Amino acid sequence: MVGTTTEARDDGEPVGVGHEFPATRFRIKATKVQEFLRAVGVEPSDGYIVEVGAPVPLGYLMYVVAYGAEPVHNALQMDMLKSVYGGAEYDLREPVHVGDEVEVRTRVSGATSKEGSSGRLTIYELTTEYVRPEDQAVLLVETSTTVERG
Amino acid sequence: MTMGYEIGQELPPVAGPRLRRLDIAYMAVAMDDPNEVHTEDDVARASGMPQVIAHGTFPLAYGGAAVTRQFGFGAVRRYGLRLTAPVFPGDELTTNLRVSEVEELEDGQRLELDVTVRKQDDTVVGRGSAQVVVS
Repeated sequence: MVGTTTEARDDGEPVGVGHEFPATRFRIKATKVQEFLRAVGVEPSDGYIVEVGAPVPLGYLMYVVAYGAEPVHNALQMDMLKSVYGGAEYDLREPVHVGDEVEVRTRVSGATSKEGSSGRLTIYELTTEYVRPEDQAVLLVETSTTVERG
Repeated sequence: MTMGYEIGQELPPVAGPRLRRLDIAYMAVAMDDPNEVHTEDDVARASGMPQVIAHGTFPLAYGGAAVTRQFGFGAVRRYGLRLTAPVFPGDELTTNLRVSEVEELEDGQRLELDVTVRKQDDTVVGRGSAQVVVS
Protein backbone atom coordinates (compact mmCIF):
# COMPACT_ATOMS: atom_id res chain seq x y z
CA MET A 1 0.00 0.00 0.00
CA VAL A 2 1.56 3.23 -1.09
CA GLY A 3 -1.09 5.80 -0.51
CA THR A 4 -3.84 4.86 -2.93
CA THR A 5 -7.41 5.55 -1.94
CA THR A 6 -9.13 2.22 -1.74
CA GLU A 7 -11.98 2.75 0.66
CA ALA A 8 -14.50 3.90 -1.94
CA ARG A 9 -15.45 0.83 -3.97
CA ASP A 10 -19.06 1.56 -4.85
CA ASP A 11 -20.29 1.03 -8.36
CA GLY A 12 -18.73 3.53 -10.72
CA GLU A 13 -16.70 5.19 -7.99
CA PRO A 14 -13.07 5.90 -8.79
CA VAL A 15 -10.60 3.84 -6.79
CA GLY A 16 -7.16 5.33 -6.36
CA VAL A 17 -7.48 7.52 -9.42
CA GLY A 18 -4.68 10.03 -9.65
CA HIS A 19 -2.17 7.98 -7.73
CA GLU A 20 1.26 8.37 -9.30
CA PHE A 21 3.91 5.71 -8.95
CA PRO A 22 7.43 7.00 -8.37
CA ALA A 23 9.16 7.76 -11.66
CA THR A 24 11.87 5.28 -12.51
CA ARG A 25 14.46 4.93 -15.21
CA PHE A 26 15.43 1.77 -16.95
CA ARG A 27 17.42 0.77 -19.96
CA ILE A 28 15.73 -1.41 -22.56
CA LYS A 29 18.06 -4.38 -22.54
CA ALA A 30 18.57 -6.51 -25.61
CA THR A 31 18.55 -9.66 -23.49
CA LYS A 32 15.05 -8.89 -22.16
CA VAL A 33 13.68 -8.09 -25.60
CA GLN A 34 15.21 -11.34 -26.82
CA GLU A 35 13.43 -13.23 -24.04
CA PHE A 36 10.17 -11.56 -25.04
CA LEU A 37 10.57 -12.55 -28.69
CA ARG A 38 11.61 -16.08 -27.77
CA ALA A 39 8.30 -16.40 -25.94
CA VAL A 40 6.24 -14.82 -28.73
CA GLY A 41 7.81 -16.79 -31.55
CA VAL A 42 6.91 -14.28 -34.26
CA GLU A 43 9.38 -11.77 -35.69
CA PRO A 44 8.08 -8.19 -35.67
CA SER A 45 9.64 -7.82 -39.11
CA ASP A 46 11.40 -10.21 -41.46
CA GLY A 47 14.99 -10.69 -40.36
CA TYR A 48 14.54 -8.66 -37.18
CA ILE A 49 17.65 -8.79 -35.01
CA VAL A 50 17.63 -7.74 -31.37
CA GLU A 51 20.51 -5.31 -31.08
CA VAL A 52 21.12 -1.83 -29.75
CA GLY A 53 19.31 0.61 -31.99
CA ALA A 54 16.66 -1.84 -33.19
CA PRO A 55 13.05 -0.68 -32.76
CA VAL A 56 11.31 -2.14 -29.73
CA PRO A 57 8.57 -4.65 -30.68
CA LEU A 58 5.01 -3.52 -30.03
CA GLY A 59 3.73 -5.04 -26.83
CA TYR A 60 7.09 -5.29 -25.14
CA LEU A 61 6.83 -2.02 -23.27
CA MET A 62 4.19 -2.36 -20.62
CA TYR A 63 3.99 -1.35 -17.03
CA VAL A 64 5.20 -4.65 -15.67
CA VAL A 65 8.48 -4.20 -17.49
CA ALA A 66 9.17 -1.18 -15.38
CA TYR A 67 7.52 -2.12 -12.14
CA GLY A 68 6.92 -5.83 -12.08
CA ALA A 69 3.37 -7.07 -11.71
CA GLU A 70 3.59 -7.60 -7.99
CA PRO A 71 4.40 -4.05 -6.85
CA VAL A 72 1.61 -2.66 -9.02
CA HIS A 73 -0.85 -5.20 -7.67
CA ASN A 74 0.26 -4.47 -4.13
CA ALA A 75 -0.08 -0.75 -4.59
CA LEU A 76 -3.61 -1.16 -5.88
CA GLN A 77 -4.39 -3.81 -3.27
CA MET A 78 -5.29 -6.20 -6.04
CA ASP A 79 -5.49 -9.95 -5.63
CA MET A 80 -3.23 -11.34 -8.34
CA LEU A 81 -5.26 -14.55 -8.46
CA LYS A 82 -8.37 -12.58 -9.31
CA SER A 83 -6.94 -10.11 -11.77
CA VAL A 84 -6.28 -10.28 -15.47
CA TYR A 85 -4.64 -7.95 -17.94
CA GLY A 86 -7.31 -6.32 -20.05
CA GLY A 87 -5.22 -4.88 -22.86
CA ALA A 88 -3.42 -1.71 -23.79
CA GLU A 89 -3.26 1.12 -26.24
CA TYR A 90 -0.04 2.76 -27.37
CA ASP A 91 0.29 6.28 -28.69
CA LEU A 92 3.65 6.18 -30.44
CA ARG A 93 5.12 9.66 -30.71
CA GLU A 94 8.80 8.99 -31.31
CA PRO A 95 10.74 5.78 -31.93
CA VAL A 96 11.91 3.76 -28.94
CA HIS A 97 14.95 1.58 -29.47
CA VAL A 98 16.68 -1.31 -27.81
CA GLY A 99 19.43 0.16 -25.63
CA ASP A 100 17.55 3.39 -24.93
CA GLU A 101 17.26 4.60 -21.38
CA VAL A 102 13.74 5.78 -20.65
CA GLU A 103 12.08 7.42 -17.70
CA VAL A 104 8.77 5.84 -16.84
CA ARG A 105 5.92 7.66 -15.18
CA THR A 106 2.82 5.67 -14.36
CA ARG A 107 -0.38 6.91 -12.81
CA VAL A 108 -3.75 5.39 -12.05
CA SER A 109 -5.86 7.15 -14.65
CA GLY A 110 -9.12 5.35 -14.06
CA ALA A 111 -10.87 2.88 -11.80
CA THR A 112 -14.48 1.78 -11.92
CA SER A 113 -16.42 -1.01 -10.27
CA LYS A 114 -19.50 -2.71 -11.62
CA GLU A 115 -21.52 -5.85 -11.11
CA GLY A 116 -20.88 -8.40 -13.84
CA SER A 117 -22.51 -11.74 -14.52
CA SER A 118 -19.90 -13.44 -12.35
CA GLY A 119 -19.79 -10.83 -9.59
CA ARG A 120 -18.10 -7.54 -8.97
CA LEU A 121 -15.49 -6.33 -11.40
CA THR A 122 -13.07 -3.49 -10.78
CA ILE A 123 -11.36 -2.14 -13.85
CA TYR A 124 -8.15 -0.22 -13.28
CA GLU A 125 -6.66 1.95 -15.98
CA LEU A 126 -2.98 2.82 -15.82
CA THR A 127 -1.39 5.47 -18.00
CA THR A 128 2.35 5.28 -18.47
CA GLU A 129 4.51 7.84 -20.16
CA TYR A 130 7.88 6.70 -21.48
CA VAL A 131 10.08 9.79 -21.49
CA ARG A 132 13.52 10.50 -22.92
CA PRO A 133 15.52 11.67 -19.89
CA GLU A 134 17.71 14.12 -21.77
CA ASP A 135 14.98 16.46 -22.93
CA GLN A 136 11.90 15.01 -21.21
CA ALA A 137 10.24 14.34 -24.56
CA VAL A 138 7.37 11.88 -24.26
CA LEU A 139 8.18 9.06 -26.65
CA LEU A 140 5.25 6.79 -26.04
CA VAL A 141 2.07 6.79 -23.96
CA GLU A 142 0.65 3.46 -22.87
CA THR A 143 -2.84 3.13 -21.48
CA SER A 144 -3.50 -0.31 -20.04
CA THR A 145 -6.33 -1.93 -18.13
CA THR A 146 -6.35 -4.62 -15.49
CA VAL A 147 -9.57 -6.25 -14.35
CA GLU A 148 -10.02 -7.60 -10.82
CA ARG A 149 -12.87 -9.97 -9.97
CA GLY A 150 -14.52 -9.99 -6.59
CA MET B 1 5.17 5.50 -53.36
CA THR B 2 1.83 4.68 -51.81
CA MET B 3 0.51 1.14 -51.96
CA GLY B 4 -2.99 2.51 -52.54
CA TYR B 5 -4.79 0.75 -49.72
CA GLU B 6 -8.59 0.70 -49.83
CA ILE B 7 -11.33 0.60 -47.22
CA GLY B 8 -12.33 -2.98 -46.52
CA GLN B 9 -9.06 -4.41 -47.75
CA GLU B 10 -7.99 -7.50 -45.86
CA LEU B 11 -4.26 -7.87 -45.32
CA PRO B 12 -2.38 -11.18 -45.17
CA PRO B 13 -3.02 -12.89 -41.82
CA VAL B 14 -0.12 -13.57 -39.50
CA ALA B 15 -0.17 -16.92 -37.70
CA GLY B 16 1.73 -17.57 -34.52
CA PRO B 17 3.15 -20.90 -33.42
CA ARG B 18 1.30 -23.34 -31.20
CA LEU B 19 1.74 -21.91 -27.70
CA ARG B 20 3.67 -24.10 -25.34
CA ARG B 21 3.86 -23.93 -21.57
CA LEU B 22 7.52 -23.21 -22.08
CA ASP B 23 6.67 -20.11 -24.12
CA ILE B 24 4.45 -18.88 -21.30
CA ALA B 25 7.27 -19.47 -18.83
CA TYR B 26 9.62 -17.55 -21.12
CA MET B 27 7.15 -14.66 -21.11
CA ALA B 28 6.97 -14.71 -17.32
CA VAL B 29 10.74 -14.32 -17.24
CA ALA B 30 10.77 -11.65 -19.94
CA MET B 31 8.12 -9.63 -18.09
CA ASP B 32 9.52 -10.31 -14.61
CA ASP B 33 5.97 -11.39 -13.80
CA PRO B 34 5.64 -13.26 -10.50
CA ASN B 35 1.96 -14.14 -11.03
CA GLU B 36 1.81 -17.93 -10.82
CA VAL B 37 -1.49 -18.18 -12.72
CA HIS B 38 0.83 -18.29 -15.71
CA THR B 39 3.09 -21.05 -14.46
CA GLU B 40 1.30 -23.30 -11.94
CA ASP B 41 -1.89 -25.22 -12.71
CA ASP B 42 -2.92 -25.36 -9.05
CA VAL B 43 -2.70 -21.60 -8.73
CA ALA B 44 -4.53 -21.10 -12.01
CA ARG B 45 -7.33 -23.41 -10.87
CA ALA B 46 -7.58 -21.47 -7.62
CA SER B 47 -8.19 -18.38 -9.71
CA GLY B 48 -10.98 -20.09 -11.66
CA MET B 49 -9.05 -21.11 -14.75
CA PRO B 50 -8.85 -24.72 -15.94
CA GLN B 51 -5.06 -24.52 -16.28
CA VAL B 52 -2.29 -21.96 -16.63
CA ILE B 53 -3.15 -19.03 -18.87
CA ALA B 54 -0.94 -17.19 -21.30
CA HIS B 55 -0.06 -13.58 -20.65
CA GLY B 56 -2.08 -10.88 -22.34
CA THR B 57 1.16 -9.81 -23.94
CA PHE B 58 0.89 -12.75 -26.37
CA PRO B 59 -2.12 -11.48 -28.32
CA LEU B 60 -0.83 -7.92 -27.86
CA ALA B 61 2.51 -8.90 -29.37
CA TYR B 62 0.97 -10.93 -32.20
CA GLY B 63 -1.32 -8.07 -33.18
CA GLY B 64 1.58 -5.64 -33.03
CA ALA B 65 3.81 -7.92 -35.07
CA ALA B 66 1.14 -8.20 -37.74
CA VAL B 67 1.07 -4.42 -38.03
CA THR B 68 4.83 -3.91 -38.11
CA ARG B 69 5.38 -6.85 -40.47
CA GLN B 70 2.95 -5.29 -42.93
CA PHE B 71 3.85 -1.63 -42.62
CA GLY B 72 7.19 -1.36 -40.79
CA PHE B 73 7.89 0.13 -37.38
CA GLY B 74 8.16 3.71 -38.58
CA ALA B 75 4.64 3.73 -39.96
CA VAL B 76 2.82 3.02 -36.71
CA ARG B 77 1.26 5.98 -34.92
CA ARG B 78 -1.11 4.15 -32.60
CA TYR B 79 -1.87 0.57 -31.70
CA GLY B 80 -4.19 -0.96 -29.15
CA LEU B 81 -5.80 -4.26 -28.32
CA ARG B 82 -8.52 -5.18 -25.84
CA LEU B 83 -8.32 -8.73 -24.60
CA THR B 84 -11.57 -10.64 -24.83
CA ALA B 85 -10.85 -14.28 -23.94
CA PRO B 86 -8.12 -16.24 -22.16
CA VAL B 87 -5.39 -18.05 -24.07
CA PHE B 88 -4.13 -21.45 -22.97
CA PRO B 89 -1.23 -23.76 -23.79
CA GLY B 90 -1.87 -25.45 -27.11
CA ASP B 91 -3.69 -22.47 -28.61
CA GLU B 92 -2.62 -21.11 -31.97
CA LEU B 93 -3.32 -17.44 -32.58
CA THR B 94 -3.79 -15.73 -35.91
CA THR B 95 -4.03 -11.99 -36.47
CA ASN B 96 -6.13 -10.40 -39.17
CA LEU B 97 -5.85 -6.78 -40.27
CA ARG B 98 -8.56 -4.96 -42.16
CA VAL B 99 -8.41 -1.40 -43.46
CA SER B 100 -11.33 0.49 -41.94
CA GLU B 101 -10.51 4.07 -42.93
CA VAL B 102 -8.28 5.72 -45.48
CA GLU B 103 -7.20 9.34 -45.50
CA GLU B 104 -5.31 10.47 -48.56
CA LEU B 105 -2.27 12.57 -47.72
CA GLU B 106 -0.10 14.67 -49.98
CA ASP B 107 2.58 12.01 -49.95
CA GLY B 108 0.82 8.86 -48.85
CA GLN B 109 -2.10 7.55 -46.83
CA ARG B 110 -3.16 7.47 -43.22
CA LEU B 111 -4.90 4.17 -42.50
CA GLU B 112 -7.08 3.01 -39.66
CA LEU B 113 -6.90 -0.74 -39.22
CA ASP B 114 -9.12 -3.19 -37.42
CA VAL B 115 -6.95 -5.70 -35.60
CA THR B 116 -8.42 -9.06 -34.61
CA VAL B 117 -6.58 -11.93 -32.93
CA ARG B 118 -8.32 -15.32 -33.00
CA LYS B 119 -7.70 -18.81 -31.70
CA GLN B 120 -7.74 -21.89 -33.87
CA ASP B 121 -11.46 -22.40 -33.06
CA ASP B 122 -12.22 -18.82 -34.20
CA THR B 123 -12.66 -17.47 -30.67
CA VAL B 124 -11.66 -13.81 -30.68
CA VAL B 125 -9.06 -13.26 -27.97
CA GLY B 126 -8.15 -9.69 -28.86
CA ARG B 127 -9.84 -6.90 -30.76
CA GLY B 128 -8.38 -3.49 -31.41
CA SER B 129 -7.14 -0.99 -33.92
CA ALA B 130 -4.05 0.66 -35.26
CA GLN B 131 -3.23 3.81 -37.16
CA VAL B 132 -0.41 3.82 -39.66
CA VAL B 133 0.95 6.33 -42.16
CA VAL B 134 2.26 4.91 -45.41
CA SER B 135 4.03 6.75 -48.18
